[in-house]
Amino acid sequence: MKALWSWLLELCDLPNAPTVEEGVRALTAGGLEIEGLTDLGAGFSGVVVAEVVGKRPHPQSTKLSLVDVIVARDGAATQVVCGAPNVPEPGRKVLWARPGATLPGGMTLGTKPVKGIDSPGMLCAEDELGIGDDEAGIIVLADGDPTALGAPAQRALGVDDWLLDVNVPANRGDCLGHEGLARELAALLGGRLVTHDVSADLAELASPLSTAELVELAIDDALGCPRYVARVVDGVTVGPSPRRFAQRLRAVGVRPISNLVDVTNYVLFELGQPLHAFDWHRLAGPPRIGVRRAATGERLTTLDGTDRALLDTDLVITDGTGPIALAGVMGGQSTEVTASTRRVLLESASFEPRAIRRTARRTGLLSEASQRFERGVDPALAGRAAARAATLMARLGGGTIAIGAVDFDRRPPARAAVPLRLARAQALTGTALSEAAVGDALERLGCAATADGDGRWLVTPPTARTDLGREVDLIEDVLRVVGYGNVPATLPPTTAAPQALVAGTADRVRRALAGAGLAEAITFGFQSPARVAALGLPADDRRAQPIPVRNPMSLDQAMMRTSLVPNLVAAIARNVSFGVADVALFEVGSVFLRAAGQPTTGEPTGLADEPIGACVALAGSRPRRFAAPAPWDVYDAKGFALAALAALGVTEVIVTATSEVPYLHPGIAAKLTHAGAVIGCVGELHPDVRARLGVEVPVFIAELDLSAIPPRGPALMRPVPRFPASSRDISLLVPEALPAAEVAAVIAGAAEPLLERVALAEEYRDVDKLGADRKSQLWSVSYRAADRTLTDVEIDAAHEGIVARLTAALPAQRR
Amino acid sequence: MSSSAPATDDLIAQLDRLAGEFATAIAPLDDEQAMRATAAQFLGKKGQVSAVMKELGRLPPADRPRVGEAANRVKDAIAAAVEARLAALAEGKRAADLARRLDLTLPARPVATGHLHLLTQVRLELVEIFAELGFAVAEGPQIETDWHTFEALAMPKDHPARDMQDTFYVADEIVLRTHTSPVQIRTMQAHPPPIRIVAPGVVYRRDDDATHSPMFQQIEGLLVDRGVRFSDLKGVLTHFANRFFGGAGGLEVRFRPSYFPFVEPGVEVDFTCAFCRGTGCRLCKGTGWIEIGGAGMVDPEVFAHVGIDPEVYTGFAFGMGIERMAMLRHNVSDIKLYYEGDLRFLQQF
Repeated sequence: MKALWSWLLELCDLPNAPTVEEGVRALTAGGLEIEGLTDLGAGFSGVVVAEVVGKRPHPQSTKLSLVDVIVARDGAATQVVCGAPNVPEPGRKVLWARPGATLPGGMTLGTKPVKGIDSPGMLCAEDELGIGDDEAGIIVLADGDPTALGAPAQRALGVDDWLLDVNVPANRGDCLGHEGLARELAALLGGRLVTHDVSADLAELASPLSTAELVELAIDDALGCPRYVARVVDGVTVGPSPRRFAQRLRAVGVRPISNLVDVTNYVLFELGQPLHAFDWHRLAGPPRIGVRRAATGERLTTLDGTDRALLDTDLVITDGTGPIALAGVMGGQSTEVTASTRRVLLESASFEPRAIRRTARRTGLLSEASQRFERGVDPALAGRAAARAATLMARLGGGTIAIGAVDFDRRPPARAAVPLRLARAQALTGTALSEAAVGDALERLGCAATADGDGRWLVTPPTARTDLGREVDLIEDVLRVVGYGNVPATLPPTTAAPQALVAGTADRVRRALAGAGLAEAITFGFQSPARVAALGLPADDRRAQPIPVRNPMSLDQAMMRTSLVPNLVAAIARNVSFGVADVALFEVGSVFLRAAGQPTTGEPTGLADEPIGACVALAGSRPRRFAAPAPWDVYDAKGFALAALAALGVTEVIVTATSEVPYLHPGIAAKLTHAGAVIGCVGELHPDVRARLGVEVPVFIAELDLSAIPPRGPALMRPVPRFPASSRDISLLVPEALPAAEVAAVIAGAAEPLLERVALAEEYRDVDKLGADRKSQLWSVSYRAADRTLTDVEIDAAHEGIVARLTAALPAQRR
Repeated sequence: MSSSAPATDDLIAQLDRLAGEFATAIAPLDDEQAMRATAAQFLGKKGQVSAVMKELGRLPPADRPRVGEAANRVKDAIAAAVEARLAALAEGKRAADLARRLDLTLPARPVATGHLHLLTQVRLELVEIFAELGFAVAEGPQIETDWHTFEALAMPKDHPARDMQDTFYVADEIVLRTHTSPVQIRTMQAHPPPIRIVAPGVVYRRDDDATHSPMFQQIEGLLVDRGVRFSDLKGVLTHFANRFFGGAGGLEVRFRPSYFPFVEPGVEVDFTCAFCRGTGCRLCKGTGWIEIGGAGMVDPEVFAHVGIDPEVYTGFAFGMGIERMAMLRHNVSDIKLYYEGDLRFLQQF
């Protein structure tokens, strides 16, 4: 909401004549943040009010005049050359930019010859001062303009003023007019609201006509329209508004159109009540104004020339022939005020906020009026606003006002007074509030409060303050007036028994992977359809059925991610494009999968499964001392996966080759199984997939489903060995395709009680000696007993047992 | 064995010669085991010294002590020679060891130091600070019902406050949560008071510029108990301000009235600018204050939705953006940097 400081001061009586800065501070501290403060007159300087005392043609040009102006009643005249066609007769005031004056755009004036005659500065037009678009001639002030000679032009133009850009909270629709803001200023600075009394004007401008004879109200939808006040202004002449009146509208962001339309906007900004002016003669007569929901299929051409199909949720104003306006949103073209309008039907009404909101959103017509109706306009305002607008129209358009208003008034009964307890206010705020301070604050807020003298009040807030319906609302407002700066800082009671703070699984994995040397990335929870497709998942995989976002901001963010892989690989691509070739990233975060029993395409019917995953992606080389690269490989990915699992206490992991992960290389991929459940996979990214994701170099992936890992209790101590271990090696000749895990499994399967540890010590290939399809493996097996040092005999017996099993169970030979 | 009796002096001379032979024998040896083996050749049962000593019985008894002395001399000499040789070897090794020279200005062998994302670091720190005040962590889904996100928080459909948060929808009644506040609702539904939680998490709004990202992280706090006061909110946030920004008690909290439908009174929270200590600088745009987030006392309407009696319990809630906290403390210039996975950014923290 844009507000003018001068306009606010007109509507309230404040002590100590605050400066605009003081006003801004008070409003901001009170919760109406002033987001901008503009000095409207800052665009130019050195331009003063001057009076024309003589004029004659320029001897060298028919288009130029020589104008004598004075800036003091008995001062000497100065001759200025002027090219405008509208130089007034002596006695009228103009605006003279004297030498040294600066104009918008930074031009500084001096004395310059114009066709041979020196002109000290110039007489100004609106566009030259940046205050309007009238470039037809110089500004001539109205006859009898009271601004003193020599005064800054700003004063005469009404731009010696400040524009406040007020951020009005969603619950303070009452502050969408200068009167509401003035009420706040009065409350916060300790003043009084000033209301225009229009009764004298109404009497003075009364016409012989009676409103009741000129318009009839037949309103069907009292819920949609609880109040409708109609007035008629007769005999008006349409023309431009006076300059200062128009200037106020321009300043708050409304283009002046004509006196009649400008008045409706002026009152909207003054009181917060949107109004509409109909050309009475263009209504189907005799006017019988209705308000109802549109019938589906009805049409209306609105003021902007658009022919609109209406819905049965739209509120419309009707005149007996059908819709003539979209209530609270936009008037219709057929009844709008034009240059030839003589009689105006003025509408001042309240409409149901939700209906207006829906229609405004649907049609995209977010007008000054609809914004106010959406937040709720005080129905009590309608009568006052209609009267104020009628007097302004009659004054500006030279007309008269039909006697009386036609008033459809189905306002809900006045709200019951709200009880307020001092003890509650103190307990809730923790602030020392005295009974007197609360009483004073209520009064400043314009509330009618009955005190029972025992710290209790019955409070009736101003009707405009629809947000004050409960005790807690009053407590907040009282505290606002008292000042939030008076709230002390205390610590809360400590009766809450907090749960133990346990580092979550996700954070434990994050710490482990960062500790292992990787950098954590956080990517968007969204993904693009292309990235989903890039993984090449079968259609029945839940990850191939992403949940679409209805209203994404871009195609890249069109759906919720179902896997951490694509965004992380895309991050590798981005790093590579920045010249960072060695990339080791991980991400731990939620993915979004359709829950069981829900549709597999389209919109979900319930919440999603949001398992937390961890993903590692490696490309390029691991950190190294010299330039020779030490490329990451799939065993690094496996190592990071095992490190992350170890951080969760998971050490028993079965690794099995798989070709079932479509986005991994079919020959370089394995799934990880723990306690019978697949908990992740490692492998090299499939070359096709990495190409689709824009990466040309090999990428190694480890992926864990942290939600599939059962929680574990604290690790329990195992006895530290007291007796030494002994190890024996086995050298085996095995087929190239035999997985190492099978050898280890056979050794473990021996259930040899003395067996402590098995490790593959060395793998050796020699095409000439061993052939291409065989390799040699050196396994190191260690043995230990908890209660004694083993003898060679015991160890050899155990070891030979294992060797025998190996050669029996596997296509392996001892070397 | 010769039948003629050995001359005593010959035997003594033989023994003394053996000492010299031994010294020659071990001179080229450079390991202890070989020296001991050689010593055994001289001193063992079948050794050369023993061979000489076997002749002892054939000597006149009077000469025997002299030969015995000579034998002991040889034994001592051999032992001493071994020790000396070992010592010389050890000294040689030590000297060679100390003669090694390495250029320590060469690059280190890199120890990979990983990086928790700055937002993770800040989040963990925020959680830790509130944990000191007894707040436990609570979580909730990111794809959330309209009811938990808005209605239960006193924002029915068509409520103008919904305009403040442009929402991503996935279905009529299902949204991407626009704030972490639905976790309040879920927590209050699941647990009777007293409740003392913080809920960090990812949220989504349709907004995209240098300070807004369509996805960002918030942390929400909720305390519901008997006798919780608005002033307690100020106290808790004052503690937080000083812990997080290192204010040592010097940072203050300012409340400015504001409107959030689910709190009343509702406030915007400002902290004394931690950089200029309130005197005004570029970061605080000269005001001495920086905006931190929103907060307030839980609105009775919210309590009504979760079945808590507002006459018995009161509570406060607060929320702030984790990106903003990180931006303020670490001078991050563009919110997009957090989400691009750019190592040149990630590795700075």
